[in-house]
Amino acid sequence: MNGLSPGQAVGLVARREFGTQVRSRSFAVGIVISLVIFGIYALIFQFVGSRTSSDTMGVTPAAQPLVPALEQAASAAGRTLTIHEVNAAEGAAQVRAGDLDAVLDRAPGWTLTGLDAVGTELQNLVSTVVRQTTQDEALRAAGQDPAAVAAQGTVAVATLEPDDPERGQRLGLAIVTSVLLFMSLIGYGSAVAQGVVEEKSSRVVELLLSTIRPVHLLTGKVLGLGAVGLFQLLILGAIGVVVGSATGLLSAPSAAAPALAAAVVWYLLGFFLYASVYAAAGSMVSRQEELQSLVAPIMFPLLMPFVFAVSVLPGDPRNTLATVLSFVPFFAPTLMPARQALGVAAWWEVLIAVALTLAAIVGVVAVAARIYRNSVLRTGARVGWAEALRG
Amino acid sequence: MLEVGGLEKRFGRRTALAGVTFDVRPGEVFGFVGSNGAGKTTTMRIVLGVLAADAGEVRWQGRPVDADVRRRIGYMPEERGLYPKMRVGEQLTYLARLHGVPAAEAERAVRSWTERLGVAERLRDEVQKLSLGNQQRVQLAAALVHAPELLVLDEPFSGLDPTAVEVMSAVLRGKADEGVPVIFSSHQLDLVERLCDRVGIIAAGRMVAVGTVEELRSGGVERIDVVGPESDWAAGLAGVTVVAREGRRTRVELSGSSDQEVLAAALAAGPVHEFAPYRPPLTELYRDVVSGGAA
Repeated sequence: MNGLSPGQAVGLVARREFGTQVRSRSFAVGIVISLVIFGIYALIFQFVGSRTSSDTMGVTPAAQPLVPALEQAASAAGRTLTIHEVNAAEGAAQVRAGDLDAVLDRAPGWTLTGLDAVGTELQNLVSTVVRQTTQDEALRAAGQDPAAVAAQGTVAVATLEPDDPERGQRLGLAIVTSVLLFMSLIGYGSAVAQGVVEEKSSRVVELLLSTIRPVHLLTGKVLGLGAVGLFQLLILGAIGVVVGSATGLLSAPSAAAPALAAAVVWYLLGFFLYASVYAAAGSMVSRQEELQSLVAPIMFPLLMPFVFAVSVLPGDPRNTLATVLSFVPFFAPTLMPARQALGVAAWWEVLIAVALTLAAIVGVVAVAARIYRNSVLRTGARVGWAEALRG
Repeated sequence: MLEVGGLEKRFGRRTALAGVTFDVRPGEVFGFVGSNGAGKTTTMRIVLGVLAADAGEVRWQGRPVDADVRRRIGYMPEERGLYPKMRVGEQLTYLARLHGVPAAEAERAVRSWTERLGVAERLRDEVQKLSLGNQQRVQLAAALVHAPELLVLDEPFSGLDPTAVEVMSAVLRGKADEGVPVIFSSHQLDLVERLCDRVGIIAAGRMVAVGTVEELRSGGVERIDVVGPESDWAAGLAGVTVVAREGRRTRVELSGSSDQEVLAAALAAGPVHEFAPYRPPLTELYRDVVSGGAA
């Protein structure tokens, strides 16, 4: 009677973790918070985008001849430039009042005056036009045709890889994927650590380990919480695709599907890697308060590729350091999917990174299971490394 | 039958167990007594496989205890442990299932045990919302819901009110009568004496005495309580020491003399109303054994 196979033991533990977590308030709150964060990001991007593309500038009578060239350059750059004619004193007053972004004057040198600073883009636009006009006048005075000189000095820009019309979207997907993975791995990794500590601090672990083996308890916990994280990831992904398509932000769902699939695979790989480390860390302390200092270093390898994925890759998709790191197991789970979403990772690169990560998981899980087994029943002071790794 | 043989365990430089041997028979309530740190909890943890022994072994029905056997033991750890935020009913069902009980049977067992222990109306409450006494009842239910073949309870009576002590005693006795060996530790020696068929006394990691309370008594010196003459009639009798004298009651300890000589001496001094061997309570036996072991 009363047989219990390892599979059943792991299944029971995993089902409890899943049920408890999904019904908890923090699960729903986590989804809402993620959506709010993404919403805020979207709003900021939109706001920043609309801000920078329009300027209002005052031009004094002395600078008046430059107006046609300025308007032409602004429309070529896709910017809205509103020009008001003012005298120097009025201009200064209106800049101070915030009605004008800057005033352009010539007395006789060119000056562009703003309040605290002049927007970089407006500055570039005006200096380009001023330089161009000055050079053109000089060329004409020297008997040259400015148009001919300009034609000689033009560089045609081309790319070896075909121009990707969905590049912008891919970039967005890469960033969203990285953010999602980062949050899921941190969130559910620490949930594993907290769960382990909860069992230790409430002492229920002794009761559990009198009937099932430590490795089954650990496996069940990691699988159960991993499934919760995956569930949340899929919910967020689905909401993202639906909302993105509905609002027109995402016009290429075909690019989203593989990115989401890659995110799921990398989430699973990353989760097993990090959750094992988190579980081992959790088993070494007896109280939640002691956990923070121990898990803080685990954040670093997660945070670094995240920063890379969000800040470096968009401008430089083939960054060498990012490419190398995307193969390194603890960095791969957030970096490689970002490179995949950008379309700069070949399929064999992905396979190598997956294989390396799998190999790392095998090693890390073995060490983590040993630490867990040695530490989980020890209460009181934090378990030392030598003792945790023994046996 | 549970046989514990020659258990040894060291924690660093400290010796926790230095050869603990005893057995617990079917249908028997076995009381495990000893001072704090004597090795009771360590022994029980080793029986449950929560801790590994350095030497010695634990056998159940003649075979070494393995994971399958442990799953059929009902265990109440010294450090009470339940998930504080999990509901009573779900928690007990989960623990029963972890012991290999099928789902439907687990729910039936949870209902019947919580009714018997008086916590049935709290099934849907989180454990942390229960009083400590009720949490303890739930903890006992957790040790019982999988119909264990052996019960190992570490300090099951600590912190219980008198009603709960009665309920707990009745449950342990009932399980023993069903043929389940029951082993429990306690510092309440009067309770152990009343409830247990046999007692094991552990001191400094060694079993210093094992047997029925009667057997433990037989090892000690013979004492007799006499209610009779108020005079100091026993003073000067050869082979007799007066241990205590209060009014008409005199307690003497025999060393070489016989009880009949004592009776004759008492009758010579006046009428004797009571003459009986003194049966020291477990508390006294315990004190003697433990101080003897330390000497």
